[in-house]
Amino acid sequence: MRTDFVGPVAMPVSAAPTRVLVTLLSMETGVAPGRIEEDITDDAVEADRPWLVIVWNDPVNLMSYVTWVFQKLFGYSLEKATRLMLEVHHDGKSVVSSGSREKAELDCFRLHGHGLWATLTKSD
Amino acid sequence: MASIQSHVTGALVQLDAAEAEILRHLFGEMKELLDNEAAIQDDVIDRLFPRAYAEADDADAFSELVGQELKDGKLGAIAAVLSLLGGGGPVETELPRSEIDRWLTALTDLRLALGTRLEVTEEKMSAELDPADPQAGGMALLHWLGWMQEMFINAITEVSDDGRT
Repeated sequence: MRTDFVGPVAMPVSAAPTRVLVTLLSMETGVAPGRIEEDITDDAVEADRPWLVIVWNDPVNLMSYVTWVFQKLFGYSLEKATRLMLEVHHDGKSVVSSGSREKAELDCFRLHGHGLWATLTKSD
Repeated sequence: MASIQSHVTGALVQLDAAEAEILRHLFGEMKELLDNEAAIQDDVIDRLFPRAYAEADDADAFSELVGQELKDGKLGAIAAVLSLLGGGGPVETELPRSEIDRWLTALTDLRLALGTRLEVTEEKMSAELDPADPQAGGMALLHWLGWMQEMFINAITEVSDDGRT
């Protein structure tokens, strides 16, 4: 994640783009983000809450934004949201919620709606 | 220079004409990108619509179930931002809390698209900009958008911490 900004950042006048995204669209890009093939387990998860929602680190999202999203979507305290954000940042991923498959899918959908890279897995 | 301050109902947003113009441009492109999402197979779309499951069948089923709603949500946020930015000139407006959330998600999607296009890494994000680098302009833009996003977060955090400005 991007660490927080300490001072103002001026708009890059020289970068004022005509169609930067579409122009950049035609650029050669690297390897597509791969599927998550890793098997993720979390032994702390209760047996009756079998589905895990995992948020993965990305280099773009701001630490403050990720913390805010966890608070907003899950009602977590600032402390808990910050701890999960730091786990994502330092460990590359964190289990941010768990529950029935329906709940986990809804949580995942809402995280995607907020631009976080989230996946689901069944804990066994 | 852009200013986003905590305000009794949400945030007071001030953008000069050049800043507003660049945002109109970028969000216009985001709208175009999302409108054509179905025809585009690339890293940006993959990042904006992540695969929820490692298992292909589950991932496809999930995309089928929520993909349209996800896209509508993203387009809705962009439409709200574009509507507030208006047709031209500087912007000075009071944004209610609900609108700030839409700005935050729209700015996030824009930064994700740009960051993916620039193939950013943690190292690249924290590196000094090299003016000779052809990507320096894009990186500067990414940081500027991030700073703006940070101002929005500060503005709403202040409101929710104090209960008022």
